[in-house]
Amino acid sequence: METGLQGMLPIGIFSLGGSVVMAIMLSLAGIMVLAAVQNLCCAKPVYQKSSTVILGAINFLFMAGFLWICWFHWQIYLKLPLELPDNLIVWINRQLEMMNKSSDYGMGLYNAASPPRYKIPLWIENEKYYFWFMCYGMMALMVHFRLQSHRFRALLHLFLAAQIVILYFGADPFSSPLPRFFAEIAPWYSPGQSLTAKAGYFMRLYPKMVFYYNAEYMWFHPPLLFISYSAITIIFITSVYMLVQRDLLVEKVGYQYAKLGFFMLTLGMLLGYPWALKAWGPNWWWDPKICSSLMMWAVFSTYLHTRLYANKKSMWYFTSFLGILCFLAMIFTFLTSFYFPGEHTFQ
Amino acid sequence: MLKKQRDTQRKSSYDFYLILATVLVLFAISLISIYGMFYFKFAQIHQMSPAVKMSYMSRMNSFVAPFIMGLILLLGICVPKRLLPTLWLNRLAVLLVAGAVLAGVIGGVKTSLLLILGTSLVLQVIVLVLALGGSKNLHFHKKGYWVRLGSSLIHLGLILFVLDLLLYEKKNLHLFLFWITTGASVAGMLCCFYAEAVVGFINGRKQASLGACRGIIIVTKN
Repeated sequence: METGLQGMLPIGIFSLGGSVVMAIMLSLAGIMVLAAVQNLCCAKPVYQKSSTVILGAINFLFMAGFLWICWFHWQIYLKLPLELPDNLIVWINRQLEMMNKSSDYGMGLYNAASPPRYKIPLWIENEKYYFWFMCYGMMALMVHFRLQSHRFRALLHLFLAAQIVILYFGADPFSSPLPRFFAEIAPWYSPGQSLTAKAGYFMRLYPKMVFYYNAEYMWFHPPLLFISYSAITIIFITSVYMLVQRDLLVEKVGYQYAKLGFFMLTLGMLLGYPWALKAWGPNWWWDPKICSSLMMWAVFSTYLHTRLYANKKSMWYFTSFLGILCFLAMIFTFLTSFYFPGEHTFQ
Repeated sequence: MLKKQRDTQRKSSYDFYLILATVLVLFAISLISIYGMFYFKFAQIHQMSPAVKMSYMSRMNSFVAPFIMGLILLLGICVPKRLLPTLWLNRLAVLLVAGAVLAGVIGGVKTSLLLILGTSLVLQVIVLVLALGGSKNLHFHKKGYWVRLGSSLIHLGLILFVLDLLLYEKKNLHLFLFWITTGASVAGMLCCFYAEAVVGFINGRKQASLGACRGIIIVTKN
């Protein structure tokens, strides 16, 4: 990262605090795995109270880390305004006016009294995994209290531990915070630039700020989807359990999370629609991510439809199978962003 | 009595087969979506000119159109099943299919889709009004005023969403329809999935306002 930016933001403190949270969380996840494996293998429940305490502690740490991320984003808002030199303002505003004339959705003109600032949502880059897994942690805690089956609880805990391992080794939001964002804005803050270069950077950074980082839809579309992804993970665990054991309470809990997941998924997808029109115009339909989301929604709708008849013996297993398929479709949809090109790509 | 029972049983199995058919159509839409993804990647559509992108989009639209029509047709049958006896339901289903095919031959896919959507929309609005009035003549798989209302709103949302997709070029109408769709879907899902909470919330508010009224009366008397 650029040293200029490191001097402007408390990146070192943020990384240090975050790494402490992550290390404690990983240790707790390790202990939880040991207890979960024993519970899966034993006929009688073991370490139930300890598991409850550890699960509570992990959730507390997740929340603490999330507040830490909020604080860091607040620092970005305060300390990284896009301030233009006075002699560029008139020229830039003329350019913006011309762009606004030829576009359906315009951008605000530059105001020297209040320069544009980044209001970065709390779920971009690696932070999205953090938010997603934190939501799952909360749901796992709630389900843990609803269902007493030690084997089911063990499955919930193993999934949470796996997510913490992924977070720690592959998607830690603290060790190198927001690398893409900082790579994008670093040239703006490098010293000794010509006016032309400054104007060029502004015209590149400002539209992305308006239509992506500061877009109001960014505060609704992704988090709703991540909440639904967490709910789908719960559905997956209940569905796997239903294949092994015909437990009506587990099915009921699974259905409750299916309703929540479907609600969040539908609303999240719907709210992405006007945003896509605003940011990309009409040419985004049939983008690979849209296709896979459509597929996932169709599978989820199918699951909810068949669930009406889950009490029929054959439909019980078919519903469970569809619950598992929902999860696989969700993983596939998420991975789409890495493998397929298009507007949603992470490539 | 016996006849009524038999009719209810027949409608139940009708429901089951309609749901199976819906599942099949949704499955087909899923397959087309997966095909679209791989085609997009391997034909490198994202690097092509806007004209090529547009032709890809319209080709995908033409692939999915029959299944969307199938889905709306099923919805078109699903909606009046809440209103009509089985015999009339079958007649209406045949009439709808014939009308859609005829409209498709004469005016193209878009006209056909508009016809089905229009018919479904009218029927769904009738069902919604009846559900809102608490009519006992409606047939739903699930019981309960709020669940029925919610189900009607979700189906209305789906019809409006497809209509909205069809009319996306008309910007003002499109955004208006979009927000109605979102409102209907959200309200529908809330009523359908969380009926008890909705009832609790409404009863709580009623009791609170009754309590406030009582408070006013007591204060006035004093």
